[in-house]
Amino acid sequence: MTFKKLKHKCSCLADRVKNCTRKTVYPGQISPLSDSCRSGRLKICKVTGDRKLCSRMASLGVYPGEEIELLCPENGSQCLLKLQGTTLVLDSKTTRKILVTAA
Amino acid sequence: MKQNIRMALVGNPNAGKTTLFNTLTGARQHVGNYPGITVDYKEGSFTHNGQELTLTDLPGTYSLTAYSVEEVVTRDYLVNEKPQVVINIVDASNLERNLYLTTQFLELGCPLIIALNMIDTARDRGIEIKAEKLSDLLGVPVVPIIARSGKGTDELISQAILQTAQPWQPCDISYGEDLDETIIELIALISENNFLSHTYPSRFTAIKYLEHDDQILQKGQQEDSKTAALLEAKVTRVSDHLLKTLDAYPEAIIADHRYGYIKSILRQGVQTHSFDTDRLYTSDKIDKILTNRLLGPVIMLMILFGLYQFTFAWSELPVSWLGILFGWLSGQVDSLLPDGPVKSMLISGVINGMGGVLGFVPLIMFMFLGIAVLEDSGYLARVAFMMDRVFRIFGLHGSSVMPFIVSGGIAGGCAVPGVMATRTLRSPKERMATLLTVPFMNCGAKMPVIALLIGTFFSENKAMYMFSFTLISWMVALLAAKFLRSTVLKGAATPFVMELPPYRFPTLRGLAIHTWERTWQYIKKAGTVILGISILLWALMTYPGLPAASLADYEQQRQAITSSFTSDPLAESRSAAAEDISEGAQFLRQQILTIDNQQSEQALRNSFAGRIGIALEPVSRLAGFDWRTNIALVGGVAAKEVIISTLGTAYSMGKVEADASDSLGKQLSRDPNWNKVVAVAALIFIMFYAPCFVTVICIAKEAGHWGWALFSVSFNTFFAFLLATVVYQIGTWLG
Repeated sequence: MTFKKLKHKCSCLADRVKNCTRKTVYPGQISPLSDSCRSGRLKICKVTGDRKLCSRMASLGVYPGEEIELLCPENGSQCLLKLQGTTLVLDSKTTRKILVTAA
Repeated sequence: MKQNIRMALVGNPNAGKTTLFNTLTGARQHVGNYPGITVDYKEGSFTHNGQELTLTDLPGTYSLTAYSVEEVVTRDYLVNEKPQVVINIVDASNLERNLYLTTQFLELGCPLIIALNMIDTARDRGIEIKAEKLSDLLGVPVVPIIARSGKGTDELISQAILQTAQPWQPCDISYGEDLDETIIELIALISENNFLSHTYPSRFTAIKYLEHDDQILQKGQQEDSKTAALLEAKVTRVSDHLLKTLDAYPEAIIADHRYGYIKSILRQGVQTHSFDTDRLYTSDKIDKILTNRLLGPVIMLMILFGLYQFTFAWSELPVSWLGILFGWLSGQVDSLLPDGPVKSMLISGVINGMGGVLGFVPLIMFMFLGIAVLEDSGYLARVAFMMDRVFRIFGLHGSSVMPFIVSGGIAGGCAVPGVMATRTLRSPKERMATLLTVPFMNCGAKMPVIALLIGTFFSENKAMYMFSFTLISWMVALLAAKFLRSTVLKGAATPFVMELPPYRFPTLRGLAIHTWERTWQYIKKAGTVILGISILLWALMTYPGLPAASLADYEQQRQAITSSFTSDPLAESRSAAAEDISEGAQFLRQQILTIDNQQSEQALRNSFAGRIGIALEPVSRLAGFDWRTNIALVGGVAAKEVIISTLGTAYSMGKVEADASDSLGKQLSRDPNWNKVVAVAALIFIMFYAPCFVTVICIAKEAGHWGWALFSVSFNTFFAFLLATVVYQIGTWLG
């Protein structure tokens, strides 16, 4: 692993720890779903990423304005969320592209 | 009889399509409580009020845009086969998301009827749906049903038959000013050039162009590249405009409007909630514990270990009963028939060969019952969710977990459906890596061999050893996948998205059906394919037999011994029971038995199969395998069950020390060529060497090239032999 990659990984880890230890979730603050470390209700603000992903997410019911319940926050690879009565598993590649805010 | 009506069953994954299909047709298609179990379509026929009907169960999809193989299969079937009516099965407890697919059927224009399934579950969750109102607003019949119990299905089919009179009539949904204008322009161009009109309605093609559907774009290019280019240019123009003004792609706007259309319908009093819609159901509460990042894997390992404990503890007694039964049967045939090839074939080929496989039926049945409980309750899908974390590390995809489990991840599966289940993977490289490594799992056919060797050499803690060998199979498969993904199948990982089904109490009927259908498959295979191969291998192990000179030599030896005794012990040794005879007669009997055994072993060595086994011995000895084991391992390439049946035949034909009534396990434990180290090396080799013949054909078919199938055979065999040699050499060195 190069020094640059190691530095980037450390910085990502530091961001995650900082985010998870934060006591309050500011209303109106928009962040990727992958950064949400606690279970609870969230509102989808935007689905970024390529057009295929947007379309795929929409067919699963993940689209702006929808409220989700985060059952099992991301643990390094995927998270578990409840949406419109169903439970969805999304991996980190996908959750990084879903922007959410506190519901 | 009226003319046959063709119907298609469509809907979201896990909405209950296959359950309804089985209820209507009386079929026993496998229904699993996890999405994506139906990858291909299946047909069934039934009669309703004298009307013959053919029903096609299509794979579950979330949309009609070609994103995965299921969507392509479903859409291609609908547009190419044009069924007379399409039954859209909709989960009533998740109406909004399910209706998203319905809107696309409406746009396609097929004669549609909605089966509102699981209304009981919806009611339990406080959801009330007014089916008549929904029907009025959507313009298609809506029939509430419970597919599991069959409630409402008669009404559904009666209504569906009436719908066959309806022509294909696409429905228009507004997508906002910008897109509507473009759609009109695209439709004009499509109609003018008769572009793809023989397959899709013009509006449907226009929308799919806006949604950037790869398959339609490709088909368009192939049919009329000039019109396709014009359409693509118009779509690009509107896409750029939408990105600039709304920061969204056309498909996002389309999805938004489809949900808007659905919401506008549902808000007109179609759906009411008695409870808080935000509340968490028992299923969600269980998930919070069972999928917890720390507790989840621990509970998962405990559950799987418990399954092995249950299987071995409950099957031990019935397995021994079957062993006694086959031993008795062998004795009966031995005493009833005169010596000759027929008797030899019946005892060595049929009873010892097939009996060895059938003797493990109770063990297989208990294992299948355990798997059925895990699958029907919805826990298997959670296992997939938790294993995804591990799979990522080894370059596999979350969707690879289910093929691994189906292939025998929890010992007892089958690699053939496992290989076929890899169709759900979109990335060709991830799919190929999964396809080549799923045969490493401990399928139901390997189970008897593993159980036999563990029971013989590690009888003190069978469940623990079985569990350990399962973990080893996972570890080796994942390491092999990592090796493939880092070398010949290098490539980027694709996103993993899966819907988890709710936890459900397995029904006794469901468990009985699932357990029985898999156990019956095993019994059927033992009674047909395995029986055939056992007889063939018996023939290979019997012929050409010993040359006349050798036979005369053995006969001479026998006569030399008998002539040295007086007539008394000779007559005594032929008639009396072993415990009642004199010392002299006992010695005589022992001497004759030794010559008989030497003759059978020599005959086996001289047989076609024996010659192959002996030819391989110089190499196989590196891993501790003797020529007899080699015969069984070569036979195992046809089907893994054959290993045990061939060992049974080889030991009953060429027995050296053991008594005829001894079980194969006892004979192996007495054989000086076998010990704990050889057993582990053999287990490792059997677990990982070339997949069975049917799996190899399946790999070639799924990979689209025989090269991959040959790679699988050679790579697996070389890899397994290397591992077995390392285990044997280190084990022997350590003593």
